[in-house]
This record gives sequence, structure tokens and C-alpha cells, in this order.
Amino acid sequence: MEEIRIGVYICWCGTNIAKMVDVEDVARELSEMPDVVIAKDYKYMCSDPGQDLIIKDIKKHNLNRIVVSACSPRIHELTFRRTLENAGLNPYMFQMANIREQVSWVHDDRIKATKKAKALVAAAINRIKWHESLDKRTVSINPSTLVIGGGIAGITAALELADTGSQVFLVEKERKLGGNMAKIDLTFPYLNSAQQIINEKIDRIEHHPNIRIFRNTVIDEIFGYIGNFNSTIGQNGTEAELKFGNIIVATGLKSFDPSGIKNYGYGKLPDVITSLEFEQMLLNGKILTKEGKEPANVAIIHCVGSRNSDEHEYCSRTCCMSALKYANQLRSAIPEVNIYQAYADMRAFGKGCEELYCSTSRKDVMFLMFDQQKDLPVIMEAKADDSCKMVIEMNEKLSGERIEIPADLVILMVGLEAQDDAKELARSVGISMCGNSFFMEKHPKLDPVATTTSGVYVVGNCQAPKEIPDAISQAKAATARIMATIKQGEVEVEVITAEVNEDICCGCKTCIQVCPYTAITFDENNSVSVVNEAICKGCGTCGSACPTGAIRSRHFTDNQILSQIKGLMSKSLELNEL
Amino acid sequence: MANKEKNKIKLAIYWGAACGGCCVSVLDVHEKLFDIVAAADLVFWPIALDFKYKDVEDMPDKDIDVTLFNGAVRNSENEHMAHLLRKKSKLLVAYGSCAHMGGIPGLANFSNRQEIFERVYETTESTVNPEKITPQTKSKVAEGELSLPEFYNDVRTLNQVVEVDYYIPGCPPQSERLLEVFAAIVSGAELPPKGSVIGALDKSQCDECPREKTENKLLKKFKRPFEIEDDGKTCLLEQGVICLGPATRGGCGVRCIEGNAPCRGCYGPPTSIPDPGAKMMSAIATIIDENEPDAIKKVIETIEDPAGTIYRFSVPQSIIRRKIMPQEKKKEEAVLQS
Repeated sequence: MEEIRIGVYICWCGTNIAKMVDVEDVARELSEMPDVVIAKDYKYMCSDPGQDLIIKDIKKHNLNRIVVSACSPRIHELTFRRTLENAGLNPYMFQMANIREQVSWVHDDRIKATKKAKALVAAAINRIKWHESLDKRTVSINPSTLVIGGGIAGITAALELADTGSQVFLVEKERKLGGNMAKIDLTFPYLNSAQQIINEKIDRIEHHPNIRIFRNTVIDEIFGYIGNFNSTIGQNGTEAELKFGNIIVATGLKSFDPSGIKNYGYGKLPDVITSLEFEQMLLNGKILTKEGKEPANVAIIHCVGSRNSDEHEYCSRTCCMSALKYANQLRSAIPEVNIYQAYADMRAFGKGCEELYCSTSRKDVMFLMFDQQKDLPVIMEAKADDSCKMVIEMNEKLSGERIEIPADLVILMVGLEAQDDAKELARSVGISMCGNSFFMEKHPKLDPVATTTSGVYVVGNCQAPKEIPDAISQAKAATARIMATIKQGEVEVEVITAEVNEDICCGCKTCIQVCPYTAITFDENNSVSVVNEAICKGCGTCGSACPTGAIRSRHFTDNQILSQIKGLMSKSLELNEL
Repeated sequence: MANKEKNKIKLAIYWGAACGGCCVSVLDVHEKLFDIVAAADLVFWPIALDFKYKDVEDMPDKDIDVTLFNGAVRNSENEHMAHLLRKKSKLLVAYGSCAHMGGIPGLANFSNRQEIFERVYETTESTVNPEKITPQTKSKVAEGELSLPEFYNDVRTLNQVVEVDYYIPGCPPQSERLLEVFAAIVSGAELPPKGSVIGALDKSQCDECPREKTENKLLKKFKRPFEIEDDGKTCLLEQGVICLGPATRGGCGVRCIEGNAPCRGCYGPPTSIPDPGAKMMSAIATIIDENEPDAIKKVIETIEDPAGTIYRFSVPQSIIRRKIMPQEKKKEEAVLQS
């Protein structure tokens, strides 16, 4: 067996790690572990100079295994695997120890954090001794794509792909296509008709020869892996078996239901409506109160359901500009109407948006600020002798005065939140969710449309609230990624799958029952189990079930995991002494 | 006494913490014992021959060709003899489950010395010991000081005390296997790599097991052998009986299973398994046919003495090695770190 020569690199991540972990001490102490040839610390291991440092050391010191102790492997494991490849090493001779998310970001005692970092790195060093070279595997790409969601993002993606000649399956859970965009009148900031844009696109996809649309359809289960997914889709009592190579998730968001906010009386006061209901009013062409009268006073309340720990902490991002859009539409529909914008902070970033704010403020619109965290306005029925139907009481933040706003119609700028079935969908396509149920992208900055599951992309609002151009950009970005794999015809896939050692397999068949992907069959001639690696997802269930140890989960072998645990324990016992 | 005749090898057999069964397994070769004696001089065998420890101490180092050491290391006497025989032997073989993995005595690692002494010398139903006298390593009597070996807090395998060349598993090893190994050594055939398990197969018991195995291994209840109506054909595991066959080396001739009893794992795990109990537990966990934590717990509760079942012969050799004793924490840490 070749001599084990390990290089260990401890990343500062600027001050991200270095402020809480004594990285130099970690490098010094672990350089003394057996088989460690060198241990170094460096400001940014992921930077080009950081990677070059590894490559040079591999060549100079004849290293054959590399441990990088930095951030989560989710972020940079691939980066460093490529670094090893560039240096001529097998990319799986690499192990990452996460001392940022698991140490520096979550601890506040530098001494203990440093000890924990040492334990995690020692575990990685112990584990890597058992690493084995794994060969790359490629699979062919089925050029069809499944697009889930028929809103503007999904429609855009479908058209982009279909126009290149590829087959697209578009699945929409509602009867009607167009999503949220089909429910609004004008777009901001240029006040163009949303209907004109979306209807033209709906018309195109409905007649596109390469697009097959499934309405009233929900995706149940998806099997397979990048390049070779399949799913059975039920529609109108019949079932269709679809095969596709990539998946675009474009399921959008839904509007927040404001019934729970007592101050606003939604559901009780008839003329308190949501922004979505107001859009419907605009589409119908008449702005009227429940009594059928034109309102003389219209109040627009911002941040309903957003930016508040009781509802959603995030900013729903589109409501400020929509509120300004409404002011403009109100002013032109009812020139004499009094318009009040009760806002928390005006957020007018983006092309043309600040300009919309300025021009709207010159149209005799009253802007009144309230405290969204502690002091929401209260909407009440007006007294019989008042000239308006409702009165909004609020503490105006800028003047510091308690004021009353007259209102005949109140529009609540409701925020956006995840679809009710987001969790089920995430499970069927195998992607993760953030705490607020938005689908998680692979990297928040560097890879915002891919997910950690190869071949699955998230675009549009389902990833986070955003404006139409952003959703379209994402849709087009994802299709570009998919087109690249289709053009290549094949793609590298995970090599971490299960394998059966036929010399040891005793044919007890325990594994066959437990495989969730039916990837294992029984070879009656040789009385052994056989794993179909094309179907195997490397989940490891069979490996842990196999009582004889004949099934190995590649890159997660018993020896790798046990030695990792031993390494961890050797240092963490010292931690207990503190 | 030792026969100096050339080409005869010197053989020693010793017992540590053992029941005697391993020594009897040597006798169980019956008339073949004459073949053994023809090829080897038995230079030390306490169960059968009257040698003293001093005779061994007087031997030159590496004088014994092969020592079959059976039994676990339970006390300081066992450890002393392990070191002594290691020094005096060219090949030291861990013979039988106790030397190999700790064996049945190793189950005592679920207790400690204090608990064992309390039970044995105080609370057993047949004991009357109002003065609570327990064995002491030193005791003064009128004639002088008496000494006893120190009873350790835990049971160790032979290789946790000294370097071991080979392992012959089994409780006891099958006599046929011993003869094969012995023949190989005497014939001067090339021996397997040091540290190998010999006299057993690489594949597990299931490979030799005549019972029918299907994919139907989902269980809602585990049963003890007397609770099933065994048809004599179906895989015992599929009938709900925990059979360690899948996680145990073959080579014994599936004797327990042939006798309609589940395999208890005395031959130890195949090379591919670092810890047989953990492996078996993980296999058992995957065949439990429930999904809710409470329901799973109920199924697991139907396993009688789970630790003693899955680790019946292998506690000291397993990763857990023993039950953690709070009062022993400091010492444990020292052992683990070493």
C-alpha cells in the first residue's frame, strides 16, 4: 500500500473563522498527527492563491490526501475536489471539515471553539486515511424537461427550452395558466399591461408543438437522477409516464392571508381588501366600495404580513412598488380621490423604481409612516356623522403625532409566502427548503438557480419573492444551464453509490426489501444481490441494513465513518475536561 | 521431559478466563490426538499435563512454536500468562471466542468489579456473608501475606493485552478446523497474513445455511425460539427470531441452525464488519416494519436482552467495549485515549 501523505489546510475565511478559532494553533497541533506531512493556515483557501497553495504542496511534498478545514462542504467541496483534479489527484482523496457553520458561527468561546475545530479536523484526518479513489461516471441526458408551475417563470422557461427544439412537459396545479401575473392589471414601474404580456405567452405555449401541458395536475413522485428522471402523472383519469432529463421548479408564491391581523379587521370590515382583490377590481375596470360607490378616500397599508416577527420576517419585495402603482391607477381613475400611503419604509430599489416613487409623490399622495414592529395602524368603522366609512388611527412616525386617516376603501399590501404544498413538492423533487419555506438554491451568490440535487433548478418566486424581470432572468438562466447539459449529451453524476462484494454476500436478501429506489435485484444463479448503479442514489440504507458487511456505501464505508468518530472522540474528550 | 526429537514442533495450550470447553475441543479430536502428539511436543497444557508456570518462565524466548491461548483476560494472572506466553512463543493463536472477542465472560463488561463482587459474594440467594468478605489481592494471615490475582474491572480480549498472530474462532472451535490449522502449520505451508482469522470462512453463516431465505424480512415483533412454531425450513430471522447468522462467519457447519437454534455469533463477524453487534442492530433496525417512533420502540422492546443478544460473544472486542460506569469515567478516558 502506498504511503499515506496528508496535507491539512485551515482556512481563516477572512475573520469569519479566524475571529473565533485560533487557526494557527489548530494547524500547529494537527501537524503532529500521524501521516500529516504538512498543516497550514491561510486567509481564504477557496481563493485562487489558496487553491494554488494546495496544488504546489501536492507536487512539492508528494501529498496524496488533502483535508481542508473551512466552510460547509455544500459550498466548497466541489471547488476543492477540482483543485485535487488539477493537481493530478483523484478528487475523492479529499475531506472537508466544517469549522465555520459548525464552529465559528455558532460559538462564542474562543478556547472551546478552537478545541472543537481541532476535534473536527482530527476526525477528517482520521477518515481520509480510508479514502479510496473513485472513478467518474457519466450518464446520458434525456433532452426533455419537466417544468413545474405555469406562472411567468415556468412559462418563460418552457418557451425558451421548447424554442430550441427540446420537449417540455409543463405541469400546472390549477386549471388556468399564468400564475400570479395573470391576476394583476398593470406591472410596475412602467405601468404596462400584465395581461398583454402573459396572454401572448400563454397563447404561444398552448400552441407550441414541443410543449405538452398538464393542467389541474400535481406532481406526486419523481424517480431517477439528472438526465434520467421519470414520473407518472395522472390527468383526467389517465396516467402518463414521463421521462425527462432536468426539472425546473417554478411554483411561485401565494398571497398572505391578513385575517389574523386584528388591527386591520380584514374579513370584518367589508371595504378592507387585499392588494390581490384590488387587482381584480382594476381588471374589472371599476374601483368601487361594497356599496357600489366610488371611494372618496383610499388608504393603502404597506407591509401586511411582511417584516414582522409575528408573521414573516422577510421583505416581500414587490409590495412597495405595487402600492405606488395603485396610487397612480387611482389618481387616473378617480382624479379627486384622496390617497394615503401608510408605509413602514419605502423600498424603491431597482430600475425605474425610485423614479416611480418621485413621480407618484408629486401626484398629491399623502405618505405617512408607522412603526411596523410595534405600532401597527388600527382600522375602525367611522362614526355615523363622519363623512367617511372608516377611520385609521396611527402614530405617524415622522411627525410624532397621533393622526386619523379617513378611508372608504383600504388596500392591504399583503406579502408573499410559500405555497401550502411546498414541503411535499420539495420532497418529491428532492430539494431543500429555507426556514421560511422558500426553496433553497445551491449557493446564495454563486449558484442561485441550481439546487443541491443535480438536474433540479428553482426559478421565480418559489426561491424568494421577486419582481417579474428577476423571475424571467432566473428562468432563462436555468434554461441556459439545462441547454448546456443537453448539448453535451451527458453529464457527470455522483459516484457515491452502493456496491455488493459478491464474495461476501450471503444472499440473505435483507437489502432488497429496504431499498427505497428498487435498485437491488437478486441474482439467482450466484445467490447474491446486485445493485443497479444507474438507479442507486447512494442513500446508504442497504449498506447499513446488510448484516454481512457485503454492501459498501462508497465514500461512506464503515471504516471511514468509524475512524472519523474515533478522531472526533480523541479530541472531544479533551473538550469535556474544560 | 521435553522431547528434543527433530522436526517436532513445540505446542502449548493455555486457558485464561475460560470454561474449559476449548481445551476439551482439543481432546475432541479423539484418536487424532495421537497424530498431534506425533508431530508436536505438548510443552505446556495445564488442563491435562502437570507443568508449572516456572517451567514456562525457564524456557528460552520464542522456544514454543505455537501457543493456543483460550479464554479471555479477566485478571492479572491471565494477563501475566499472556505476556509470558507471548514472549516464549513464535506464534500466539487466540483460540476460541473468549480469546478472540471476549466471549461469554466478556458479557461481564455490562457490569464492573464492584457490581460483580456484590452479586457474587453478597446478594446471591445462596450466599451468607454477613462480614461482606470479598477477595483481596493481599491478605495478612498468621503465616504471612497471601496474594490473589487482581480481578480486573473489565474483561479484555487477548489482542487487547498482547500481539496476536492468528485467531481460531468458535465456542468452542470445531475440532476439525483445529486439525486443519494444525496440519497446515506442521506441514510448513505458507501461512496467511498475520492477524488473520483462520479455521473459518470469509462468508457468513447464511451462505451455508440450508433454510429458505426470501425478501420477506419485515417484522413487527421479535420472538424467542420457543415462541415460534418452526417449520424447520424458513429463515429464522424471517420468523422473528434474532439469528446472528448473517453477521457471523461460517465454518462451524451451521451446527446451531441445524439444531433449529438461531446462530449466536460465536465465530465472530466476517472481516468486512468492524463491529458485529452494531452491524446486527443496524440490520435489525432496517427490517422493523413500523415508521412511527413509538411503534418502533415497541417492536424493539420485544427483543429480550438486546445487548446480550447482538454482542453475545463480542462485547470486549466491540467499539463500546463495556457499559460506561460513571465512577470509572476518568479511567475510561485514559483507556480510550491510549
